[in-house]
Amino acid sequence: MLVLGIESSAHTFGVGIVDGGRVLANEKAMYKIGTKGMIPREVAQTHISNCNAVISAALSKAGIKINEIEGIGYTKGPGIGTCLQVGQLAAKTIAARLCVPIAPVNHGIGHIEIARIMSGLKDPVALYVSGGNSQILKLSKASRRRYTVLGETFDIGVGNMFDTFARSIKLDPAWGSTVEKTAEGGKYVPMPYTVKGMDFSFTGLLTHASRLAASHRKQDVCFSMRETSFSMLCEATERAMLLSGSSEICVCGGVAQSARLREMLKAVADEHGARFGFAANEFNADNGGMIAFVAERMLTRGAEEKLRDCTIEQRYRIDSAEVFA
Amino acid sequence: MTKPISEGAESRIYPTEIFGIDAIAKVRGPKAYRVPLLDVSIRSTRTKKEAKIMALALSHGVRVPRLLGVSDYSIYMEKIHGNLMKDAKISGKQAEMAGTLLATLHNAGIVHGDFTPANILIGEDGKLYLIDFGLSEISHGAEGRALDLLLIKRQMGVRLYTKFVKNYSQGVPSAREIIKRLAEIEKRGRYQTRTLG
Ligand SMILES: Nc1ncnc2c1ncn2[C@@H]1O[C@H](COP(=O)(O)OP(=O)(O)O)[C@@H](O)[C@H]1O
Ligand SMILES: [Mg+2]
Repeated sequence: MLVLGIESSAHTFGVGIVDGGRVLANEKAMYKIGTKGMIPREVAQTHISNCNAVISAALSKAGIKINEIEGIGYTKGPGIGTCLQVGQLAAKTIAARLCVPIAPVNHGIGHIEIARIMSGLKDPVALYVSGGNSQILKLSKASRRRYTVLGETFDIGVGNMFDTFARSIKLDPAWGSTVEKTAEGGKYVPMPYTVKGMDFSFTGLLTHASRLAASHRKQDVCFSMRETSFSMLCEATERAMLLSGSSEICVCGGVAQSARLREMLKAVADEHGARFGFAANEFNADNGGMIAFVAERMLTRGAEEKLRDCTIEQRYRIDSAEVFA
Repeated sequence: MTKPISEGAESRIYPTEIFGIDAIAKVRGPKAYRVPLLDVSIRSTRTKKEAKIMALALSHGVRVPRLLGVSDYSIYMEKIHGNLMKDAKISGKQAEMAGTLLATLHNAGIVHGDFTPANILIGEDGKLYLIDFGLSEISHGAEGRALDLLLIKRQMGVRLYTKFVKNYSQGVPSAREIIKRLAEIEKRGRYQTRTLG
């Protein structure tokens, strides 16, 4: 089934096209985050001006015409309201014009499912790590129709911690990924390490690192922050895997692009003879491909939504979304 | 060393013998994913903390295995002959005893952090022994105590939990406040969905 998916929950406007689980196109345009962070109205404006161009780019990449599309998916949430509305409106317009079925998709489910299925895993413990999210999840045993949250952050997402720190010590560019680059060759200095069972917290680490930055080499603080936070995630993931009886780990979301995090999780998996998987980086950053991917699975199972019920939900909980594993 | 009798997320249990007593060693081994300095620090801090809390619990009359020694990353303790509560058919009497056990622990100012039938041993003497203080904290707050109750409630089922909580309430002065907190926690979404089912 040729399905077009639209993602617009935050600073990325993405359009993906899939057919039978194969991603034919995955195009995007991004809002440039300035020193003030994201201003919702401005981001939405940017999405509106990029909308047509990104859709056209995806169609020509896939080598198809718009009227060949057989189904539509869009991100229902969670995300910024005004941004979500842009994708929702575009998706509903296309669906109405083409008279094709439409499916609202949970953003986090998009990340997890594309990583899980593309890496060939059946029942992994999934570590979903992005700016706003840091959670450990697993398909519920009974139905395999929902993800259950096994563990999560008590406060901020790990990506958010890196971003905030990058801005506070004026890294250039001031993104989380620069922290990882700056960390190369650094030395470890002790940092607060907070894991409670399968849950964890990052604010203590952020505050401490920001304070240390005044008196220590940037390199060492970045290195220690990265090592400490990733070790926390690994410990909680390891415990979740053993307690839930799984023998697979997958990682997804923006922070899953980190080579170091993958290397550490691979070591966790190896210690227990478990399998480890992740998706290509284009699917870890926000993208429309994963939305199309999940929407196709929904639509081929008859989970289409009536146009008038195609809402957005800023706080759409990942464990309330039905999945078709 | 010999083969471990149990392998957990952060430690392995080995059989051993100390002063002619059957003993076990709980060993926190290295984790390849961590940088060495952090690895060493986590393992030694947790080993010391667990031993300290075990000793504290013992001094307040909580039945735990006798401590026989502590080294950098290992705790040596008496081996309890018997069965894990999770492998036994729990009787009403045993549920009540578990209630008293948790009450004594909470009165000592300790929150267990992983209070499940997998961490209670039923000795050959019929008595209950509490083990695994790896996630324990010194705390007098209602939240941690309520979470201990939540975990055991989930695992025991209604009938046994009713007996459990009767004895627990008799033993803990602030039981009403803790049980009220438990009800609040159960209403919060994320805990409702957190069973592994
Ligand atoms: N003192 C003991 N006597 C007998 N068996 C023990 C003792 N301590 C631990 N064990 C056994 O080892 C297992 C794991 O020990 P535990 O302290 O719970 O570590 P973990 O953190 O791996 O759960 C227990 O479930 C029990 O079977
Ligand atoms: Mg245990």
